[in-house]
Amino acid sequence: MSFGVSSVTLLHILDYQLKNQTAKTGRTGFQLLVVHIDTSAVEQTAPNPSLISNLQARFPDHSYAVLPVKDVFEETTSDAKPQTSGQPEEQAEPHATSTSSHLSTLLASLPSATALADTITTLRTRLLTAYAAAHACEAILWGDSTTRLAERTLSETAKGRGFSLPWSVADGPTPGGIMFNYPLRDLLKKELLSHAEFVRPPLTEVMFEESKTGVVSTSSKTTTIDDLMRAYFESVEENYPSIVANVVRTATKLEPAGFEQSDARCQLCGMPVPEGRFGIHGWGGDQHDAQGLEAGVQKEGLCYGCTRSVPRGVGLPP
Amino acid sequence: MAPSICAVCQTNRALILRPKNHQKLCKPCFISVFEAEIHHTITTNSLFHRGERIAVGASGGKDSTVLASVLKTLNERYDYGVELILLSIDEGIKGYRDDSLETVKRNAKQYGMPLTILGYDELYGWTMDQVVEQVGKKGNCTYCGVFRRQALDRGAAKLGVRHVVTGHNADDVAETVLMNLLRGDLPRLSRTTSIVTSTPSIVPSSPETTSHTNIKRSKPLKYAYEKEIVLYAHHKNLDYFSTECLYSPEAFRGSARALIKNLERVRPSAILDVVRSGEDMAKLVPGGNDNCGNGCGGQATLVEEEEGGCGSSNGRTTGGEMASMEQQLVQSEAAAEGGLEVEITTAASKSPNPPDSDVIPLVTGKKGKKLKGPPHGTRKQPARQTMGQCARCGYLSSQDICKACVLLEGLNKNRPKNSIEVTYDIPEEASLNGNTVVNGVQQLSLGPD
Ligand SMILES: [Zn+2]
Ligand SMILES: [Zn+2]
Ligand SMILES: [Zn+2]
Repeated sequence: MSFGVSSVTLLHILDYQLKNQTAKTGRTGFQLLVVHIDTSAVEQTAPNPSLISNLQARFPDHSYAVLPVKDVFEETTSDAKPQTSGQPEEQAEPHATSTSSHLSTLLASLPSATALADTITTLRTRLLTAYAAAHACEAILWGDSTTRLAERTLSETAKGRGFSLPWSVADGPTPGGIMFNYPLRDLLKKELLSHAEFVRPPLTEVMFEESKTGVVSTSSKTTTIDDLMRAYFESVEENYPSIVANVVRTATKLEPAGFEQSDARCQLCGMPVPEGRFGIHGWGGDQHDAQGLEAGVQKEGLCYGCTRSVPRGVGLPP
Repeated sequence: MAPSICAVCQTNRALILRPKNHQKLCKPCFISVFEAEIHHTITTNSLFHRGERIAVGASGGKDSTVLASVLKTLNERYDYGVELILLSIDEGIKGYRDDSLETVKRNAKQYGMPLTILGYDELYGWTMDQVVEQVGKKGNCTYCGVFRRQALDRGAAKLGVRHVVTGHNADDVAETVLMNLLRGDLPRLSRTTSIVTSTPSIVPSSPETTSHTNIKRSKPLKYAYEKEIVLYAHHKNLDYFSTECLYSPEAFRGSARALIKNLERVRPSAILDVVRSGEDMAKLVPGGNDNCGNGCGGQATLVEEEEGGCGSSNGRTTGGEMASMEQQLVQSEAAAEGGLEVEITTAASKSPNPPDSDVIPLVTGKKGKKLKGPPHGTRKQPARQTMGQCARCGYLSSQDICKACVLLEGLNKNRPKNSIEVTYDIPEEASLNGNTVVNGVQQLSLGPD
């Protein structure tokens, strides 16, 4: 639950469906846990987590939870095992036990706005997956619209995450061990927006109003790859909605890579890394062995995409 | 501010901010890093073998000029033992190639490489000027594009060369990856990400038509940034011709190109990252054994139509590609509507009433992706193209007759039978006049046979 139009709409629909099931049969087919990952400590644009109470008031039949994103570090109870060897100067607080300082150490090491946004997204997914597993959930339902999935298709591609794309746009099991589903995958964002206003009382009352997107900051310092793709597909959606849908259909046709539970995983996003090809080196576009530059900077243990965002591999969650 | 020191040699003053990773380098180090990367690309992909004759597709533009220069340098430095020749294509557009062909001729002298210039007239029996005259200005780009795709292969076959290298760079490849995602063309995405295309393993049935099928194409600059190619050309004082593309790129490519430029601004590595994603996704494209990207030990990928960047513009001037694709998609959606309605999981926005089943498991655990029946995908499974050969010319084609031959057939059918005269003074009005030849006199006599 991000309080955006998509996840609020999804909740609205599921709530309706559950009510109907109960009315017709006296029992329900599923239970909902509504979870918000609170990133307000690290993202200025993040919604206020207290919005959850409005939702709870409107849709009272479900369980609600707010998890601060720093909880992603909680699995380790101690600081005993160093996650990353080397880079001693970066680990200024080797004995810091607070999860929030772990988080800020990690985020402070990131080189760009894109890296920050990318990493927070990864942490959010991780935390949610862990939460769902801990609560024996059958699946995580994401609210993403067609438009959003098209954005993600291109932006994951641009971040060097093409390999894991099937797991972030298609319905199905994921390497994290839990099913992901995107029930709103066939609806455009503009359709969801109209629907949210049309519903009585309007869903907009319980939504978080995002700052107006579409205008991408001209500064490449603050613009993220996600911003670019959002602006792009907002404009494509205007005139060519079927092309947006077709991008998603196309990405969904990709077959998820096969993997074993025992395969090497990325330390950050948890995706299997085929043939142990960690990092940004060791492929055709790699220049590492060509002249041995940047040796030592590279931390093994991260996939290609995560290495781009967290080049120093500092302060990773357990 | 103190001048920066080169990150590689730690000695010279850094004068160059490397576009790829924003490393600060001195000029000699930049040159050597750039060359080392191309060498790395060539060796790790085993692009060349000793004794091979290789034609550089040369347009006189920056990419192919840098390619020819770097290959000459590396061939000498590392003793690849390959023979390099230059192959240029002249579309036969009066004036258009004059300067670039002059450039190529100078390059041939500078690099000591033999040069062959082949005209569309020699390859197809028609110059582009003649085509325009015949079909009018609208639509002639289709001809140019289709002819251009085959021209290098046909030219190489004529010269008895079995390997053509082209100047496609990382920007071109990244652009093509995004474009094919936007167009929904996974088979092509998969083909165009591989560094070697066309397949020597497909052995044509009749020996006399082996020619075009066995031409191998590769892109040694696949991982080189366009900006670095320009820098290299500049610092090596290479003699190249800045061609402006004749046509604006078609809408999907134009869109993808703009995205790539923006991405590069936001994150310099993004171009390389898109290329990497493209290679990885190629392995996930269903139903292909041509999906091995680069990994399959020298196995090359079959390609019918090579995508080109600007230098090989298959551009059109209309820009209506997105609109017409949108229309097509809408129509096929409408056709599939009935089937779709029941498949969409909650279908809530369309009919607020959930289906009548009593218990509706949201997720049927084991079924996974099958949940939505054949949702997106099975309905339009990427067509498994069976590549065969054109019955006429032997070029790789998914149809019996390749596109070029189809177009040629149309052109030749309408070629005026009698009153053929040669004149190079083609009145401008003649070409403006749709599909008919106006006065029948200005047709050239250079027939295909
Ligand atoms: Zn990762
Ligand atoms: Zn230097
Ligand atoms: Zn043919």
